[in-house]
Amino acid sequence: MSLYQVQKLIYHVNRDPERRERYRQDANAFVRTYDLSEPEGAAILNVDVRALYTMGVHSLLLRPFTLLNKVSNEDYAQALKGLV
Amino acid sequence: MPIVFACAASHAPGMTAWTEAAPKEQAENFLGSYRKLGDRLAASKPEAIVALTVEHWANFFLNSMPAFCIGRADHYDGPVEEWLRIPKGRVPGDAKLSAQLIDACLDGGFDPLFSDELLFDHATFLPLHFLNPNMSVPVVPVIINALTPPLPTPKRCFAFGEFLGQVLNRSEKRIAMIATGGLSHWPGEAQHGKINIPFDKNFLDNLIARDYTQLTAYTHEEINVEAGSGGHEIRTWIALAGAVQSWKAELIAYEPVVPWATGCGLVEFNP
Repeated sequence: MSLYQVQKLIYHVNRDPERRERYRQDANAFVRTYDLSEPEGAAILNVDVRALYTMGVHSLLLRPFTLLNKVSNEDYAQALKGLV
Repeated sequence: MPIVFACAASHAPGMTAWTEAAPKEQAENFLGSYRKLGDRLAASKPEAIVALTVEHWANFFLNSMPAFCIGRADHYDGPVEEWLRIPKGRVPGDAKLSAQLIDACLDGGFDPLFSDELLFDHATFLPLHFLNPNMSVPVVPVIINALTPPLPTPKRCFAFGEFLGQVLNRSEKRIAMIATGGLSHWPGEAQHGKINIPFDKNFLDNLIARDYTQLTAYTHEEINVEAGSGGHEIRTWIALAGAVQSWKAELIAYEPVVPWATGCGLVEFNP
């Protein structure tokens, strides 16, 4: 249950092809292998850009992760609208 | 031989990945100047390039994040990014020079991490693509944490660069030094796309004026607010300024390229 675990999951999906494949095959099962709170797990599963950003996921982890999940530049910017 | 060449350059991935998104004149001016810097690097006949660089989660994660890391490999593969439109390749290293640098650091009051295996992401591979296009000159990467706080202070980066410069000036090899990163940019942040031209110009003025008091006085908060999370990469430029303090810095190009979401700078240093 920590930002560290959320970022670790994202780092693994971004950088490790084997883990990325497991995430793609069964995201629910993959997320359960990390020590995440229910909201953290939901934010990952929903690719909730705004929730992940506001919980403090590093932007250079988040943007590649959202690109893997086919979030366009426009949708990404829209999700962060109004934040500083 | 002493240091024979030095330059600092931005490395926005859009320079290669979406070159044509930029206004044609801006792209041609900037990338043309980048290639000419590469010609001058080659003309200086360096036997090794010491690259003051950064990385973006290519090698390190929060379980182990060095302030400074010196690569000690025989070669480095990259680029990590499939979409960079730079062919994958292998860059030769100079493990002997790396080992000499690491020993000198430990003897001289600096304790960097060392690594015998590093991947290059766009931070290192993109500048080398322009400055060392055939990847013929071996590279020693010196990675500075500009990615995730806490970061080494600009003052400490300047001192580290100053020390590396002293060591390299005693090397038996001809050394080119490059610094890569910056200037202002907010990659993946809510302000993505913003460029702070006044900050960039002021930073470049300080560099050219050799105002080391100003260059070492930047605070983390000031850079974070004024130049974005990507702006922290100016630490590599500050370290290079420390390495070649007696050299004159010349602005080769500055282009605030909106589609590349980065204030893009090129500076050459000459004795």
